[in-house]
Amino acid sequence: MRIIFAVYKRELGYYFRSPIAYAVAFALMLLLGLLFSGSVGQAVEFNLQAQQFQQQPITASQLISNVPTVLVFLLFLVAPLITMRLIAEENREGTLEVLMTLPMNESAFIIGKFLAAWTYYTIILLLTLIYYVMLSTISVPDAGQAFTIYLGAWLYGGAVIAVSMIWSAVTEDQIVAAFLGAATVLVLYLTEIGAFWASQQEITAGASDFIREIGLTAHYHSTLLQGIIRAEDIVYFILMIVGALFITTRLVEIRRWRA
Amino acid sequence: MIEVNELVKQYGDFVAVKGISFNAQPGQVTGFLGPNGAGKTTTLRMLTGFMPPTAGSAKVAGFDVFDQSMEVRKRVGYLPESVPLYRDMTAVQYLMYIGEIRGIKHRRERAYEVLRRVGLSHRGDSLIRTLSKGMRQRVGLAQALIHDPEVLILDEPTIGLDPIQVLELRDLISELRQKHTVLFSTHILSEAEQVCDKVVIIQQGAIIAQGTPTELRATLERGGRVLVRANAPVEDLSEALGTLPSVLHTEIVTEGLVVTPKTTDHDPRPEVARRIIERGWSLIELRPLAVNLEEIFLELTRAQKRAEVVEAPPSETQSETSEAEVQE
Repeated sequence: MRIIFAVYKRELGYYFRSPIAYAVAFALMLLLGLLFSGSVGQAVEFNLQAQQFQQQPITASQLISNVPTVLVFLLFLVAPLITMRLIAEENREGTLEVLMTLPMNESAFIIGKFLAAWTYYTIILLLTLIYYVMLSTISVPDAGQAFTIYLGAWLYGGAVIAVSMIWSAVTEDQIVAAFLGAATVLVLYLTEIGAFWASQQEITAGASDFIREIGLTAHYHSTLLQGIIRAEDIVYFILMIVGALFITTRLVEIRRWRA
Repeated sequence: MIEVNELVKQYGDFVAVKGISFNAQPGQVTGFLGPNGAGKTTTLRMLTGFMPPTAGSAKVAGFDVFDQSMEVRKRVGYLPESVPLYRDMTAVQYLMYIGEIRGIKHRRERAYEVLRRVGLSHRGDSLIRTLSKGMRQRVGLAQALIHDPEVLILDEPTIGLDPIQVLELRDLISELRQKHTVLFSTHILSEAEQVCDKVVIIQQGAIIAQGTPTELRATLERGGRVLVRANAPVEDLSEALGTLPSVLHTEIVTEGLVVTPKTTDHDPRPEVARRIIERGWSLIELRPLAVNLEEIFLELTRAQKRAEVVEAPPSETQSETSEAEVQE
């Protein structure tokens, strides 16, 4: 625990000292801010006309889901950017050599790093809560749904960060780690397409469902984003995190055995 | 205390360390000497628990490096060759970070204490990226000292330093022997000679000699090359001594004649002296060529090559490769 905390403190401190963390946060907040103000503007216009044509107006709850939806999509870029250096840099600089001769387990080191990256993401996610506050001044958004949306986005982020961190342990090159991380997360995001394709192929019926269940969207967009909490989705994200951290730990160990 | 027993490290087909054994005693500085690529870093990494040996065993501070790695790590301070540090931290922050992982209490005081020890307390709050190479080396050393370890393992600690810093660091290493078992690697022989109580010479993954600098010198005085001067034409001298049974070959140099014996465990000097007297010449000088570690090292390398030549005359291609390896 002490070691996890020591590593966590250092890594989190690094995020607040490094320009890339601020650049990523700035770009994200700018993009999400524009998106939010745009969607609110559109919704107001639509709702004015909707009354005339007796259509369903856009609710505040729907608006709330906009920002996290885009945020979790953009994670395929953001997560690799915040995880690419975590292990690759220590490997290249040789600082890993010192750490691996200290009395500590690789797993404590990996968990500390992961928690720091997840905390950084959590801070960005919490900043987007400002939109919820803004909406609640002009409307009455569904607080329960907002909770599941944010809980989901938080777990989703943790899983994606853990998965892209694996690549940082595979290669010393941060750019390569980032690209491979982005590709992996994108594939996990786009499994719906694969599932659709599989359902057209007349292979075993389970294949399509299986591909779908591996993906991230099946556990967020159709459940938590809609205000539904299912145990299997929570378990899915936690398993993704634990599994990815386990693989990363093993990779660091293997590098050392081969070093 | 370090005990190394038949330690082997293999990378695929390449055997980097070929079953070496040596000891390092408390209260002593042991020098691990060898040319670049001899297997020094690999050995030190196995002793610090950074990587496991392929075969053999090693005990550091009484614990096995493989089975009791955590116990070993608690008791070892290690400075890797490249002196890896976090450049975005200050020296004190870095030392406190290492101290926290090591579970040290009163970390800030301890960080300043070790910085004082290495003579860098005035730069404790500078970012590591702003420190010079020599200062970084000292931060690395402070890191290795922070938990007051029983055993200190330093990989080429003087590399890249200016001459004054090298002297300071050597003094510091000498001082450290009082409380710690110190093992440090170097490819600079004069350094080992000045600082070490014991020297282990490694080449191509095998130990070719070990002992105190004095012992090593004695070994070579016994079987090393000797310089001969006599009041006779040097060509005649060469002809007369070249036919001695214990002599491999002779070589005429400006100072006189260099005689190379066939084996290192046989001193050719008595025979040489006798032959000269028999011929009715007067012996002016007969001295071993190796007078410092640098020469001892070169001698040992030559002796090893000589042994190969004498034992089994290899085919031409083989002897070329062995020569290339020796030069390397």
